[in-house]
Amino acid sequence: MITKTTALEVLNVALSTGADFAEIYLEEDDQTSIRMDNGKVESCNDTLTRGAGIRLLKDLRSVYGYTNNISRTGLLKLAEDLSGSFDGERIVTVESISKVRQSNKHRPRIKYSDYPREDLIKMLAESSDACLSYDEKIVRCEILFAYNYKTVEIFNSNGKQFGDVHSRGRYTVTATARDERGIETFHNRPGAQKGMEFFLEEVDMNEEARSAAQSALTLLGAKECPSGKMTVIIGNGFGGVIFHEACGHSLEASSVSKGLSVFSGKKGEKIASDIVSAVDDGTIEGAWGSGNIDDEGNPTARNMLITNGVLTSYLVDSFNGRRMNEPGNGACRRESYRYEPTSRMSNTFILNGKSTPEEIIANTEYGLYAKNMGGGSVNPATGEFNFAVNEGYIVENGKIKYPVKGATLIGSGKEVLLNIDMVGNDLLRAQGMCGAASGSIPADVGEPTIRVQNMTVGGRGGTVK
Amino acid sequence: MISYKKVFDKAQAEGLEALELYVSEERNLSFSLFRGELDSYNISDSRVIEARGIYEGKIGYATSEKADSTTPDYLIGHIKQNARLTNSDDKSIIFRGSEKYRRKNVFSKKLQDTPVEEKIRLAKEFHTAVTSRNDKIREVEISYQESTEAVTLTNSYGLKLNSKANSAVLFAQAVATDDTGETKSGMVFRLITDLNDFDINETAEKLVNDTVSQFGSGPCESGKYRCVFSGNAFASLLGAFLQNLSSEEVQKNSSLLAGKLGEKVASSRLTVFEKPLEKNASFRYFDDEGVATSNKTLIKNGTLQTYLYNLTTAANDGKASTGNGYKSRDGKIGVGLRNVFVKPGTLTEEGLFEKAGEGVYITSISGLHAGMNPQSGNFSLIAQGYMVRDGKRAEPLSLITVAGNLFDVFAQIMAVGNNQELRMNGYFVPSVLVKKISVSGK
Repeated sequence: MITKTTALEVLNVALSTGADFAEIYLEEDDQTSIRMDNGKVESCNDTLTRGAGIRLLKDLRSVYGYTNNISRTGLLKLAEDLSGSFDGERIVTVESISKVRQSNKHRPRIKYSDYPREDLIKMLAESSDACLSYDEKIVRCEILFAYNYKTVEIFNSNGKQFGDVHSRGRYTVTATARDERGIETFHNRPGAQKGMEFFLEEVDMNEEARSAAQSALTLLGAKECPSGKMTVIIGNGFGGVIFHEACGHSLEASSVSKGLSVFSGKKGEKIASDIVSAVDDGTIEGAWGSGNIDDEGNPTARNMLITNGVLTSYLVDSFNGRRMNEPGNGACRRESYRYEPTSRMSNTFILNGKSTPEEIIANTEYGLYAKNMGGGSVNPATGEFNFAVNEGYIVENGKIKYPVKGATLIGSGKEVLLNIDMVGNDLLRAQGMCGAASGSIPADVGEPTIRVQNMTVGGRGGTVK
Repeated sequence: MISYKKVFDKAQAEGLEALELYVSEERNLSFSLFRGELDSYNISDSRVIEARGIYEGKIGYATSEKADSTTPDYLIGHIKQNARLTNSDDKSIIFRGSEKYRRKNVFSKKLQDTPVEEKIRLAKEFHTAVTSRNDKIREVEISYQESTEAVTLTNSYGLKLNSKANSAVLFAQAVATDDTGETKSGMVFRLITDLNDFDINETAEKLVNDTVSQFGSGPCESGKYRCVFSGNAFASLLGAFLQNLSSEEVQKNSSLLAGKLGEKVASSRLTVFEKPLEKNASFRYFDDEGVATSNKTLIKNGTLQTYLYNLTTAANDGKASTGNGYKSRDGKIGVGLRNVFVKPGTLTEEGLFEKAGEGVYITSISGLHAGMNPQSGNFSLIAQGYMVRDGKRAEPLSLITVAGNLFDVFAQIMAVGNNQELRMNGYFVPSVLVKKISVSGK
């Protein structure tokens, strides 16, 4: 998007007042979204975003700015404005820039832009029909199909140039069921960092739509979930949001390095039960949260966060790593050029254990089976989290008995990890959008079916003693 | 930089029936302090051109941050393509203009002109005020975010509207640890339009109190309780409730308030206004379709007064737009609100505790994106707060959830307080006493 000569000039202006590191991040992102309501296309929008962010570091201070004027003049002005935050002498000069080459593991086979939009819309309409015709109580089907193609270029004062491209697509189907008992909605949203082949070969949108309809119907007939402390079996796939919220965020260098995390200074210590091992892996081919490099140019990595219950690694970006004396480990991400990058998760999940999901249920006398989880949030200072159960069932005497709705799981990350007493062998990843300081980014969560003892469940169906 | 005329010319040449350009220009300044020292500093300057056009009777959308000689082709080409793919029965409308607009100047030149050094100094003084108040405070993170947004809406019918507003928010998070190693955190924010109005001591006092008063907190016994919601907590519930006033949700079978116009939908103690013309940072005299906004009563003594319309949903119902057409993230016009006010009652917050007698006081609820279903009204949310015993605020609560149904909660409002808390998104809501809510804890 800019020449090496311009990059050199901009970096050197940025460094003129004593910054010890400078970086230009350029991005062009072609996005398309199609919205359908009850089978009719309501809107199609194409959006072209393009801009640059410049980051300067000096010891433990960072300065960041962005603009979508990426002309030489625009970038020089931004670099100069930013350099005004420091008032020292130049300590770094960039003499030359060389391009770092790496292979692209996440290349789309069928580019979305090459696939006829009319054909895609036909597929969406068919899935909408599949949802609406599933049952007469299904009164509405909303679909959002969004895809993008993003090109990134990074230049930094170590004389390096990096590049990456991301092609992502995601299908969201929301079914609304209604009868005299009320209204319930349920959604499914599969996505990948692949091309259209993902929706032609790996995911059946009609099936996703029918399954959303079925789950919405189940909720209509579900009883209110009872509340109290109980054994909770958390289903595989999106159930991994528990780990993402309860632990993952607290392992990010942004809070760890400042002593603001419950896991600050705990490396090498036992933080989870022995049967728990977990990983953050940004290298998985075609995965939603993957990249060839992270958003400061470091190669992505498979970082073992927890090994047999022991904290083995944090998620580190170079800047926060300065406080921790650790180098960045490929975990520095941002939503777009509008965000200063920081340590974030990519694809984060608990590894397989030995039990089968059937064994876990059969061994549970009474508890909640949280088959499908909604989102949640966590306070990184205290580790307290909450998340919603989208689809839940009461388990009695080793059998799934009846569906319940309105359940929330709450607890603190420290405790819940230690209370995991069974881990299944059915690991599955699911797609989410993770929001934090550097914006909303695609991230996979995941886990096999797990069982947690003594979890607080919130609900309106009376108290369990 | 391109001339927008070229985009309109291109639209005409390509046979578009109408075109609208919505251009927003944003400048931001933000910084944060860690341990009292500046640790990050951000500035930005950006512009987005959102275009909508009607082609062969249907509406198409295209958005660009790039503004050069290729932009007219990009925008008009995609609008045509996207309009062709659209087959919704909704009427496609680009607005010719309202008869009268009530424009006010809400831009604070003073805020813009105050040197950044003064803003940083204020944040540093605030940091000192917080840390010096209590030795249990271990860390304080402070961030200041100032933004200026200028919006220009022009269309091929000659309508041209613009607005410019700026405001700043100061956020602070404190982490406190006591002798037993227990950690608590508290947060505060203040909307600032004039640095002189920021009360350092009052804000620091509130942050420190809110943080250290949580020591020793834990869950209460599960059960049903009388509940005082703080204005901040109640505003979250109100926001979800008001989504059901959207004519779009009503028309698409997704609102439980469908068919309830003129009927009782909440306790007679509740009156809610929308005041987009209130002079503050959320002020807007036109919505995102260019329709003049107006102040109005949404719920009067518990009775539903109106649904909220944009041009398209109004056409479906044979009504006029209420000036509530606001863009969603992908540019499509949905339904939104600016400046929501709940009419205050007579009791102070302490008066509400007294009236409650025994119960809980909920100061914050979170996890709404997952634990709240605005359509069914069911919610189950993590909460923080205090017990209310003998008519007074008592011990702190944590790790509890409150659960209920919005429609039940709104029907069971026993009293509305006379205090008013401003939330960032332009909600002005007092504390509210509700008859019964499920709390799960121990």
